Amino acid sequence: MTKSDVVVVGGGSTGTAVARDCALRGLKTLMLERDDIASATVGTCAGMISSGLKYMDEPHIVDMCSQEVVHLNRIARHIVMKNPILTPMLELSDLSSGGSFAEEYSKRAAKREVPPVLFLTPEDSLKIEPKLNPNIIASMYFEEFFIDPFRLCMLQAIDAQRAGALIRTYCEVIDITVKDDSVDEVLFYDRVKGDIERVKTKTVVNAGGPWAPGIAKMAESNVEIRPNKGAHVILDRRVVNVGIIAKAVDGRMIYLFPHENTVLLGTTALDTWEDPDTLVASHDEIEYLLQSMEWVVPSIREARIIRTMAGVRPLVANWKVPEDKVTRGYETIDHEFEDVRGLFSFTGGKLVMCRHMAETVTDLVCEKLGVKHKCTTHEIPLPGMEADVDILAFSADYGISQHAVERLRARRGTEMTRVLELTRENPDWRTTICACEPVLEAEIRYSIREEFPQNLNDLRRRVRLGTGPCQGTFCTYKASAILMEELDLSGEGFKVDILDFLAERWKGKRQSFRREQLVQEEVTQGMYTCVANLDQSEIEYDPKPWEGSI
Amino acid sequence: MNLEADIVIVGGGMAGLVAGTIASEGGLSSIVLRKGESATSMSSGAIDVVGYLPDGTIPFESPKEGLVALASLYPFHPYSILGFGEGKPAFAEKVITGVEAAVGWLKDKLKDSVAKIVGGLDSNILSLSILGTTKPTCLIQETMVSDGFANEFDSTLLFLGVKGYPDFFASAAAKSFLEQSEIEQEGPRKVAHSTVRISPFGNTCNISASEIARHLDHDDALGELLPQIKKTVDTLGATHVALPPILGIKNARGNRQRIEEEVGAIVFELLAFPPSIPGLRLQRALEETYRKSGGQLLLGHEALSAYKEKNRYVSVQAGAPRRSIRISTKAVVSATGKFIGGGLRGAEDGLTETVFNLMTVTGNLIQADNIRPYDYTSPFAVDTGGHSIFSCGLTVDPQFRPVMPDGQPDADNLFAAGSTLAGYDYLVEKSGLGVALVSGFYAGKNAADAAKEVD
Ligand SMILES: Cc1cc2nc3c(=O)[nH]c(=O)nc-3n(C[C@H](O)[C@H](O)[C@H](O)COP(=O)(O)OP(=O)(O)OC[C@H]3O[C@@H](n4cnc5c(N)ncnc54)[C@H](O)[C@@H]3O)c2cc1C
Ligand SMILES: Cc1cc2nc3c(=O)[nH]c(=O)nc-3n(C[C@H](O)[C@H](O)[C@H](O)COP(=O)(O)OP(=O)(O)OC[C@H]3O[C@@H](n4cnc5c(N)ncnc54)[C@H](O)[C@@H]3O)c2cc1C
Repeated sequence: MTKSDVVVVGGGSTGTAVARDCALRGLKTLMLERDDIASATVGTCAGMISSGLKYMDEPHIVDMCSQEVVHLNRIARHIVMKNPILTPMLELSDLSSGGSFAEEYSKRAAKREVPPVLFLTPEDSLKIEPKLNPNIIASMYFEEFFIDPFRLCMLQAIDAQRAGALIRTYCEVIDITVKDDSVDEVLFYDRVKGDIERVKTKTVVNAGGPWAPGIAKMAESNVEIRPNKGAHVILDRRVVNVGIIAKAVDGRMIYLFPHENTVLLGTTALDTWEDPDTLVASHDEIEYLLQSMEWVVPSIREARIIRTMAGVRPLVANWKVPEDKVTRGYETIDHEFEDVRGLFSFTGGKLVMCRHMAETVTDLVCEKLGVKHKCTTHEIPLPGMEADVDILAFSADYGISQHAVERLRARRGTEMTRVLELTRENPDWRTTICACEPVLEAEIRYSIREEFPQNLNDLRRRVRLGTGPCQGTFCTYKASAILMEELDLSGEGFKVDILDFLAERWKGKRQSFRREQLVQEEVTQGMYTCVANLDQSEIEYDPKPWEGSI
Repeated sequence: MNLEADIVIVGGGMAGLVAGTIASEGGLSSIVLRKGESATSMSSGAIDVVGYLPDGTIPFESPKEGLVALASLYPFHPYSILGFGEGKPAFAEKVITGVEAAVGWLKDKLKDSVAKIVGGLDSNILSLSILGTTKPTCLIQETMVSDGFANEFDSTLLFLGVKGYPDFFASAAAKSFLEQSEIEQEGPRKVAHSTVRISPFGNTCNISASEIARHLDHDDALGELLPQIKKTVDTLGATHVALPPILGIKNARGNRQRIEEEVGAIVFELLAFPPSIPGLRLQRALEETYRKSGGQLLLGHEALSAYKEKNRYVSVQAGAPRRSIRISTKAVVSATGKFIGGGLRGAEDGLTETVFNLMTVTGNLIQADNIRPYDYTSPFAVDTGGHSIFSCGLTVDPQFRPVMPDGQPDADNLFAAGSTLAGYDYLVEKSGLGVALVSGFYAGKNAADAAKEVD
């Protein structure tokens, strides 16, 4: 049986950050994720590393977030982008509520190297964003940072790996045994190999997000969260130049954020009792978001919705306060108080806080293990941050479009040169496989070789395959063939991967199925059902949790 | 601008072009309006008549068998509509003779074209796709004929891809096909795969099907390709070569013949995804057939509305960039396609027909003006039962006239054809181009009769 100093359960933003911190402090670290890196909550978030518009009344959290933005800009600048944001106001009452925010924001602006809040006239606002409702009375202008949540988690995991951690995906923790009031062994099921393995450990960090209560229960411990559903509607392109934040029909704040090649319209915040594995956006959520945004961007319904996504925030269990007023801070639980030593859990938290959460818990773990190393995760850059990248020079040198090279850079920073190098020997790998993004064949092959994806959905998280307007219509079969070649899969595996990815994309497309997406879906169905006859294939297909039973 | 035509056909895919040609053959003048791309040109080019019952899993041995089954189980299927009418012969027989007439007519029309087709209603052809899967279809282009490698004991089938052309991975197709034929204990003795290099216009990556096809349309372009194919075929002992459908837009038949002669193996094209060259060939051949028959094809023209006097449409209003025209007419055929063609539009608050404001219905013929498309989908992306949103559309009377909520035709002289019709799901039945052909054929005939009545 293998031994570990610490076992981290969960490979979301929190789990990967914890694994990285532990590994950098020299602990023998094993991270177990039942699915893929960033496959759950973090993958449904907006990627805003925010100064905290939503939690102005919790100043210590605003301070923490502002500091984390500085750190993330230091360690991961290559995957961080800055978005200007307009908050248009339609009524005088909107203006007054903006004032206190402007003050809090501006206090911390210099630190993050952004200008203080500006108030703009309607004319100036419309110059920046012509799609705004011309009847606004003013708008607030400020700037926020965003990070690619998938790449952040990937890079944290890869960095942890390089520092000696063992990162295992598709490994589901099924039991945590406790001996003499201390955690002793972790049992897990390897979903790829079909084996049950066990590992001996003195400490366990439960970074299971909304699944944290269930994981704690395995060790006879208790974690209580207040699960909160959030949904996004995704538009096919950057229909706005800047982010827009507006008051929704119920007076809460919602937003429209340019995100990679798309725009995110979000988000809802609803107490939920649903199983996070089967959760999808509801018709009500979609219409709530559209109607709310229509007030400030009247043409929003003409935009093409490509899909929705929904996730569950594992909020701190504050009860009897409105769902949007629950603290957005986090708590670390040391289960020693209930006689389980060595087990630590989180409730609450955000993407922007993941490094901070990791530092807190790793301090506790180190204390338990008697290790004295200091945290360095805010100083050591993540892979790809080594230098700036000259897009124009690379584009000319490798004969690849500037657009494709820039998208590659946005995912990989300096590491992109390793992808480009592959095309020297195989010039045809410069071919575009996913045209929406775009993604080159070389990057897909590189990712398969270096970033341990098991299927096309994992590739999506690593290279943004199938995330554009066509939602995988044209890249699915091509990428599946490449995966088959690289991993030497069977012909059945080739078809299973196609069907699995189509199923995964359909999960998000179906909820907002309307207008142009009917046209798109007729093409998709024309290909895979009508021409390839895959609806009649007799392969072993595992129904997905959200597909229910027939 | 004002124009005149005995018949106006809105939509220039399979259904519209067939209807237009039929009108010409009836001695009438006609105009086909086509606003944009059609599903017809995106199709694999193989003309399905019927492969499965909706939700069925056993393929029909022959389209005839399928038509009989549909006639008894789905009396409102667009094919079954041919069975209505008085007296003998019986329902199913009428359907079969009706479909046979349309199929025979099309084969004859296309026999000298780039899209010459073979096959018939007596047996379905199991055609191979670029994923190495097969599907039952009725008529295939001559360049797709694979000559029974499945039954030859000592055959070797070679899947041949092109480097830098990402729409076809020979390795994946070969593996997927091989495993399937092992399960079914049929198929060639050996399966192999390889790639060749073609550099249309000097490109070595991101090569598209139409670039290759255009390149191969030139007389001397095969020179680069032939030795490579020959070498691979000789090395692997291939008896059959499966290529993606790239053999030419104009010259595919000639190219295929030359390759076969030079390499001494049977060469055929696979069913492919859009952009699909055989789909394009079919589209072009249909357009040419229509033009040759004397019809007038207005590309880039969108029908916007139509005017009725009493119970008859008398004119169609159409627009193109910087151009607006009014066409006076005696009968109209609507062949505007489904969602791709643009004949139907589905929003969160209902399904609408886009030109004549006709009633839409679901596959079960329930009014669909207020449906939410989501409710007509399956949780499974790819489902033998299909997504019923794709069987929504227009419902018609036995003469293919769209019917309104009162059960009466919208007009005496408006006919509808093609995938805009409700009551069938071409995706799972494998019946797309077949329904478009047959309904276009009869809607065209009926429109011609209606136009003649006016004089
Ligand atoms: C709609 C929405 C928008 C958001 N927007 C933002 C934002 O803009 N900015 C921001 O900072 N935050 C945002 N958040 C919050 C943020 O996404 C989350 O708080 C954070 O990402 C949670 O990460 P996590 O790693 O704790 O949880 P998760 O990402 O859920 O990770 C938990 C992991 O544990 C795994 N797991 C579960 N059980 C087991 C087991 N038995 N064995 C092994 N592994 C297991 C799961 O598979 C999962 O991958 C948003 C949240 C939502 C829902
Ligand atoms: C990817 C794919 C592959 C397919 N493969 C096959 C196959 O292998 N075999 C098979 O049998 N079937 C196949 N099909 C189905 C088949 O293509 C369609 O069912 C068939 O082409 C429908 O023909 P149609 O003439 O009704 O419509 P379309 O071909 O879509 O033609 C409709 C036309 O109407 C025009 N139009 C619409 N509104 C207006 C307007 N207001 N004014 C002017 N013009 C207008 C459009 O521009 C278009 O040209 C496939 C479909 C798809 C999507």
